[in-house]
Amino acid sequence: MAGRDPLLPNALVVARREYRDRVKGPLYLASTIVLAGLAMLVAMAPVAVRYMDRQTVSRIAVVSSDADLANRTVGVADSVLNTRPPDVDASTWQKPYRFDLVADRQEAEDDLSTGRITGMLLVDRAAAGQVQIVYRSNDSPGSSRAQLLALAAFGVGVLDWSSRLPTTGSGGVAPFTPAAFETQQLNVATEAGRTLDAQEVASRGFLGIVFVVLLFITVVIYGMWVATGVASEKSSRVMELMVSAASPRQLLTGKVVGIGAAGLTQYLAIAIPTLLVVAFQDRISSVLLGPGGMEGTAIVGLSPGLLLAYAVFFLLGFTLFALIYASMGSFVSRPDDLQTLSLPLSLLATAGYLTAVIALGGAQSTWVTVASFVPPFSPFVMLARLMVSAVAPAEVVVSIAILVATIAVVAVVASRMYAAGVLLYGQRPGFRAFLTAARRA
Amino acid sequence: MSLEIDHVTKRFGTTVALDGLAFDVAPGEVFGFLGANGAGKTTTMRICLGILRPDAGEIRWQGRSTHELPRRTWGYLPEERGLYPKMAVLDQLVYFATLYGEPPDRARREAVAWLTRFRIPDYAGRRAEELSKGNQQKVQFIAAILHGPEVLLMDEPFTGLDPVNLILLREAFLELRDRGRTLVFSTHQLESAEAMCESVAIIDRGRLVAGGAIRELKRASGRRSIRLALGGDAMPAWLGELPGVEGARRSPAGIELEVLPGSDPASILAAVLARGATVSNFAVVEPSLEALFIEHVGRPADEDASLAPDRAPSLQAGGVA
Repeated sequence: MAGRDPLLPNALVVARREYRDRVKGPLYLASTIVLAGLAMLVAMAPVAVRYMDRQTVSRIAVVSSDADLANRTVGVADSVLNTRPPDVDASTWQKPYRFDLVADRQEAEDDLSTGRITGMLLVDRAAAGQVQIVYRSNDSPGSSRAQLLALAAFGVGVLDWSSRLPTTGSGGVAPFTPAAFETQQLNVATEAGRTLDAQEVASRGFLGIVFVVLLFITVVIYGMWVATGVASEKSSRVMELMVSAASPRQLLTGKVVGIGAAGLTQYLAIAIPTLLVVAFQDRISSVLLGPGGMEGTAIVGLSPGLLLAYAVFFLLGFTLFALIYASMGSFVSRPDDLQTLSLPLSLLATAGYLTAVIALGGAQSTWVTVASFVPPFSPFVMLARLMVSAVAPAEVVVSIAILVATIAVVAVVASRMYAAGVLLYGQRPGFRAFLTAARRA
Repeated sequence: MSLEIDHVTKRFGTTVALDGLAFDVAPGEVFGFLGANGAGKTTTMRICLGILRPDAGEIRWQGRSTHELPRRTWGYLPEERGLYPKMAVLDQLVYFATLYGEPPDRARREAVAWLTRFRIPDYAGRRAEELSKGNQQKVQFIAAILHGPEVLLMDEPFTGLDPVNLILLREAFLELRDRGRTLVFSTHQLESAEAMCESVAIIDRGRLVAGGAIRELKRASGRRSIRLALGGDAMPAWLGELPGVEGARRSPAGIELEVLPGSDPASILAAVLARGATVSNFAVVEPSLEALFIEHVGRPADEDASLAPDRAPSLQAGGVA
């Protein structure tokens, strides 16, 4: 009979009821308020970090075989980078940078790789006498810190040149040559060929965690809403009326769309105030931390492309999981029985989430790459890869194509399993029965 | 053209739920679909609705197979009552009618009219969980008819109703019949079926054991009984031993004597009088539907059959079509 029933308008009628049923509930309102509050607190985290950061000092190692040159570099860099802002009270202000002389370059490299220092300056002199300074850190050449150090390098070059001027009039004056300054950025992340600076990388990592956690929550919680909704209709026996009024395909689609829309509404209710906090973060930071506090706190790197990617992976990820959750819900007679049956699916989602967290840490191993193409992990892992590393557009397209194809297959199987399960009463739910039905579907 | 159940067979795994079941229901009549629990009544209704597919045979309405018919052809009142517990009564009535293609405004007007008729207009805005079982049942009946189905299939519609509501529901049945609707219902309350139906089908273990107009079934059985009242309201033991009498039992109307086929009621009356009894009432009556049911099925209507596929269809059932 399903073949004769078009999807609309019944799927829409069911979706509307599901949507209203969800959003009218007090639990929905309470959870939306709590989650929005939490999300705004998370969005304020960089301000808090910056506040904490103000209490700490960034360390930069200076490595040179020439002791005079090293001392000169420390002096100039200290005067350039540790300049007190004119509107900050001198009694409370403390230097944000400390420059340490380190004799062993390897020791400095080790400290840099472990994060004990922010960067290192390798200071040397070429055969012609020109000062050469290499700044190694996670900062991009365009970062404000690198540019201040370039300015300091110029000052070092001037001082060095003047120190080498002959004290008697016997010799000629060597022509002034500016110090050569180079920034070597470690762990380079790019997007569309553009190198991301350290702040952007950190920001992306932070946003990545937020997005992946949100995706995980929405997939599992909203998916369980779908399963619970189906199981409730069975336990209240209203399902028998429903299946005589609408086809399983209409019911399944309506339920997934309606609950998905309720989830999306909640997501927007959480995301909009959070994004407003992000947008006005510099002002909030300025108010809380004073005029200099806004520096370096804003969340950058939240490009429209990433927001679109999140929307696409949210939509596809939720649809995939919701279809499976719905068919699972049809196999239990009471909502209480869902916990057992849905556990394997929740574990799959958790595996995807954990892989995504590993990917956010910068891991680019083969299995992370593979997982970003394989549903049901791909929504989490590809999103994470997009946030923190360079991903070719073709890879994203292939990942989405595989996900869409999987959803199409799962939709057919889930629809048949749902049809088989909705009138199944009085039998003990079990994963084996579910798999048996899946094979038959 | 009628509702034709044309040699329908349905198996659940190795269990045969319907075994070549065949009977017709004339349009515009109230039809009783009788059988013990697990006889195959609900399975037949689900096949009518397209919820299940038959393994063999076909069900047709007006010459068209069920899978060619729109869903709104049917109205269905399932045996297991169910409504959305937290949803307002009127809202869910409109919701169900909308699924059947009714415009919401018209559905709302009709629903209010039916709620008023069933004396529960004040419950329109209440949640279903706040209603008594009987009132929930009336709401479900309204849900089944709001879209104006041509055929109304009802599984045990009278269960749980008090006498007043029973009368209300019966009146609604007759009104729908007068509007040209075809009503098919199953019930274990055989007196209700006898009072309302022109025809019945009695099935047992998925097979038709008797079917047709009730009057014809009674005549064909050849059975009659005598309703008797004796002075002093006594029931002497010798009544059951009279020639031509198969058995005697008390009934609300007095004493009921089962007459053997071919026996003459006048001879029995003469034999009673010859024993010196005072007869205050004597009537020859046809067998009740319950007696016919027991005769054909061999047990009362509310006794379980060995098979109960309607309550627990297995995975092999294939579920909703």
